[in-house]
Amino acid sequence: MGDTILRIATDVGGTFTDLVYFETDLSTGKQTIRTAKSDTTPPNFEQGVLNVLDKAGVPLSQADFFAHGTTVVINALTERKGARTALLTTKGFRDTLEIARGNRPDFFNLMYEKPAPFVERYLRREIPGRVDYRGQEMQPLDLSGLPAILEDFKAEQVQAIAICFLHAYANPAHEQAVAAEIRRLWPEVSVVSSHQITREWREYERSSTAVLSAYVQPAAERYLARLETGLTDKGYKGRLYVMQSNCGVDSFESTRAIPITMVESGPASGFWGAAELGRIIGEPNVLALDIGGTTAKCSLIENGQVRIKTDYWIERDRKSSGYPIMVPVVDLVEIGNGGGSIAWVDDFQKLHVGPKSAGALPGPAAYGRGGTQATTTDANLALGRISADYFCGGTVAADMAAVDAALADVARKLDVSPIEAARGIIRIANSNMVNALKLVSLNRGYDPRDFTLVAFGGGGAMHAVGLGQELGVKKVVVPRGASVFSAWGMMMSDLRRDYFVTRLMDETDLAGLNGLIAETVDHAVAQFAAEHVEPGKVAVEPFLKVRYRNQEHSVEVPVAADGLDTEAVARMIEAFHAIYEKEYTYRLDAPVEIVGLHLIARAEVGKLEIVALPVTGLTLDQAIKGRRPVDYATEGVHEATIYDAEKLEPGMTFSGPAIIEDPGTTIVIHPKNRVSIDAFGNTHIEIRG
Amino acid sequence: MTEKTHDPVTFDIIQNALEAVADEMFVAQRKTSMSAIIYEVLDLGTGICDAAGEIAASGAGIPAFVGVLDKAVKRIIEKHPPETIQPGDLFASNDPYWGGVTHLNDMILAMPVFAEGRIVAWTANIAHWNDVGGNVPGSMSSEATEIFQEGVRIPAVKLIEAGRPNQAVFDILYVNTRLPDYLRGDLWAGIAGVRIGERRILELVEKYGADTFTAAIDDFMELGERRARAALKTMPKGTFTFEEEQDDGAIHKIIIEVTDEHFSVDLRDNPDQKGSSNSSREGVEIAAQLAFKAVADAQAPGNGGFFRPLKVITRPSSIFHVVEPGALGYYSEVEIRLFDLILRCLATHFPGLVPAGNFASICGTVVGGKHPDTGRHYTIVEPQLGGWGAWNGRDGNAAIFSGFHGETFNCPAEVAEARYGLTVDHMALNPAQGGEGEFRGGKGISVHYRVRANDNFLSVGYTRSRMPPWGVAGGRDGTPNYVEVLRPGKAPERYSFGTNIPLNRDDVVHVVTGVGGGYGDPKKRARNAIAEDLRHGYLTPERARTVYGYDE
Repeated sequence: MGDTILRIATDVGGTFTDLVYFETDLSTGKQTIRTAKSDTTPPNFEQGVLNVLDKAGVPLSQADFFAHGTTVVINALTERKGARTALLTTKGFRDTLEIARGNRPDFFNLMYEKPAPFVERYLRREIPGRVDYRGQEMQPLDLSGLPAILEDFKAEQVQAIAICFLHAYANPAHEQAVAAEIRRLWPEVSVVSSHQITREWREYERSSTAVLSAYVQPAAERYLARLETGLTDKGYKGRLYVMQSNCGVDSFESTRAIPITMVESGPASGFWGAAELGRIIGEPNVLALDIGGTTAKCSLIENGQVRIKTDYWIERDRKSSGYPIMVPVVDLVEIGNGGGSIAWVDDFQKLHVGPKSAGALPGPAAYGRGGTQATTTDANLALGRISADYFCGGTVAADMAAVDAALADVARKLDVSPIEAARGIIRIANSNMVNALKLVSLNRGYDPRDFTLVAFGGGGAMHAVGLGQELGVKKVVVPRGASVFSAWGMMMSDLRRDYFVTRLMDETDLAGLNGLIAETVDHAVAQFAAEHVEPGKVAVEPFLKVRYRNQEHSVEVPVAADGLDTEAVARMIEAFHAIYEKEYTYRLDAPVEIVGLHLIARAEVGKLEIVALPVTGLTLDQAIKGRRPVDYATEGVHEATIYDAEKLEPGMTFSGPAIIEDPGTTIVIHPKNRVSIDAFGNTHIEIRG
Repeated sequence: MTEKTHDPVTFDIIQNALEAVADEMFVAQRKTSMSAIIYEVLDLGTGICDAAGEIAASGAGIPAFVGVLDKAVKRIIEKHPPETIQPGDLFASNDPYWGGVTHLNDMILAMPVFAEGRIVAWTANIAHWNDVGGNVPGSMSSEATEIFQEGVRIPAVKLIEAGRPNQAVFDILYVNTRLPDYLRGDLWAGIAGVRIGERRILELVEKYGADTFTAAIDDFMELGERRARAALKTMPKGTFTFEEEQDDGAIHKIIIEVTDEHFSVDLRDNPDQKGSSNSSREGVEIAAQLAFKAVADAQAPGNGGFFRPLKVITRPSSIFHVVEPGALGYYSEVEIRLFDLILRCLATHFPGLVPAGNFASICGTVVGGKHPDTGRHYTIVEPQLGGWGAWNGRDGNAAIFSGFHGETFNCPAEVAEARYGLTVDHMALNPAQGGEGEFRGGKGISVHYRVRANDNFLSVGYTRSRMPPWGVAGGRDGTPNYVEVLRPGKAPERYSFGTNIPLNRDDVVHVVTGVGGGYGDPKKRARNAIAEDLRHGYLTPERARTVYGYDE
């Protein structure tokens, strides 16, 4: 056609597969957003994606962009539905995976249960050969035992092999040689080496990363291949992208090689969306909050930049040490508090909210599907914060009798009134979320008062203003289409890769520093070239990882990509002291060392151009649906004005107490808050009082 | 509905916030510390005490440090009259005779938090410093007989007065260490930690008011006490005695009395203090607190209220109540022996109440010398992982830290090789056979550190080196902890305690930690579980035959 641009985002969740597509009419600039939903179809997840495309009747042959996010990887891990995996490692280290780090977070509990390794001991085998920490070979690799090991693996029906050798981050030659030999002897088996995923030290973390990657690889590879075939069959001709955990997208082709990088693809797109939104509305410092049905996730964006780290673990909490995956993941904190989180009272009359969730079935008591336990959503209904007459955008009749019964149960155990109990649930849920937001801000040395809170997901807007007031943020912004905001973020993403390399160096080693940067940049450019991106289109940002000598935890200091001289290094060191002091409150007069590099490489893949929302001349009065009393917990009950989000237009302003109702979410505006709708239809809430 | 003076949800929010503050203090200190033993091993604890010094909340880390900070703050309050304490003060103590509780290596920093003209709380932390002077590098000597040989003593003094550093104390500290750079970094990391805690508590007080804040802490203590008393009600009552032979032939004796009102531990009939394996009375209380918490209610808040029903009776001048100038370098082995003795006493009378014995030693291992590539001095100070005991229904855990260390991380071989210039030949599960039962003990570890240069040294302090971890209900005992020094062409030298053992090029330090005790009769072990153990190489065919009667 040419006069419209059609972009598609799909997202495979645990229960539903979502589709969002954006159509931009190039002549009028008008953008239309459509959404559709169908069931997720395990184990053939690609089928759900194809189904939802059919259901929405998307003209795939005319689509220009297709991005895909998925929980397939994380679900395969947490449900233990991966491949039968074996591990090959350096002689003397097959137990690394089982020894792990020896920590015990539930430390008073003598019956703590250490997580079982993903590869049992008899499938962990050793190969002689050693490389030292500088990458020099100390003992040559001896592959003479490999054929017999592979025969054993075949007999044991192994489907995937992970390879992790000591110091392979410094020199991957031994891993490469083992992988090549396996491909020669057993081409059918899936193989992944630690150095393909990470170039950082710590053998347990790298082994775990390689093992978990191998574990999900066959299924993820198959799934992406079938999806690609399915889309091609339906006539899609454009390039296909997969959302990654580092807030970028990557091609199907490279994701198939290392699918573990998709592990947090869901939350990453929302946080990237928040960063992009921040740039568009001139708020580069953002606290992003995504509240869904079972969890709340948050992340901090400074100067338009998301923070990417490789210190990522699954199943890690106060009860379990979990499993590390050393891949670039957006720095996020996730807690078990969402709309469906269950409120409960312990034996000592203490009220708790979450982490257990009522899920989709039975769901909150208000769904009337047999849920008897009060959830955050039920409390929001009882307090009038959500309208019983417009529950789930008016598609579900709220079962208020069930809500009252569930709250009465909590109230009885707490010895308070049901309304007090509902307020308590909201306050505890908010307190949990405030603590999570503090973890990504205050705990990292940032003052929330310098930030704008951007809240999205189905439940974000309900709590955002209360949280923002508690944290003292500048203002709260709820994006237009908050409930499908993650999909929007996916369409705004760049093709992006984050490279982390461990290499210990003194700051005086100019040649070493420049060598490391140049070598990593060349590697990145070559990888992008393989994706048909010209070198000139690749933007690179190197950050040195710097610390005071002998410390462990480094901070990232930006440097130029095109060669450092003595002066540039001196400026970098000064910047290090300042960044360090900001995060840790003091600086030292001590020698500094470089531990490695973090290189961000990205190329634009044709972002969605955001256009202003048309003003049709509706008046504010026309957007008012009515009034009702709303209980603001600690701020008491107020008569709130109810607005219809779909009738709010750019330039409109009004004050709280108010409620804005959108089919996907409800925005709770507290008394004295000042609301304005910006040119793009986003809701800005100035916090006063 | 009953009348409440304060809103309980506000209390919950403040109590949650206190724990979040203690965690934030922990994270801040961890990230900035200079020494691997703090940032990697996490030999570190943070906490918030009430105005009287009772512990209210603790940051993650080492359970054995949870009960230290309150005792230190109480001693500071005792020494310094209230009128001499002002906002911005920061106190330091590492001296067990001045509130330091443990040994001179552990520095405690504490800071009063003032609001509305009075102290509403204290923030405090404790961290293990690599070297505080004394007779030997690393400061801990198994041969010390007096505290004077163990390093510089900081007896609960003001390090910072109203925000101004007392430079004299800093200078004294800097010259009394073999590793001044590390000490300086670790000290400032600790200062930053207590200051962050102070700032956060002030924010809480500002928001809720000092009265509500202190009432919330009181309520938290009461919750702890209620949970402890509820747990006591469910525990078996009576007076239980036990005695146990130690590696050195000494006999440790205990009398535990459990009533509806209290849990008391009588330790009066125990050996006289000697050498550096002694604990302060406060240290002994901590060991008893840990055991009590584990048995009574592991998930309850570990605050001062929870420990109110616990009573500890000691005899001055004994290993469990050292008096000045006794040495305490290896206090932790004394404490952990007591922790294990309490559990063993209860397990003997009530099999199944707690798991079978674990390797139950810190297995403190110090290796130092010059890095062969950089020439810089290094010291490793490390506790070890070991095997844990089985319980009814589950095999014991392999390779985790002792009951005294919790959210503690071992040092990766790759980091050890780069940072210390040692070669790690292997880091594996200990193949020793033992700990069999219907449910078997978990494996300890076996590590080879190969030294690449001359003039390195080794110091160790291991217990359960002759007397192995105990089995329960017919389960077999586990295997011992020890260190071997393997020198080319020489017979292995075996150690449990040793100070400044010389190491030269190509010598190997072989660390071995025990397999945990088994639970139940080995003959009852499921056949398929035995087959799995054989397949994985945890069990030898010979042992399967002789202990399990398995011959398939």
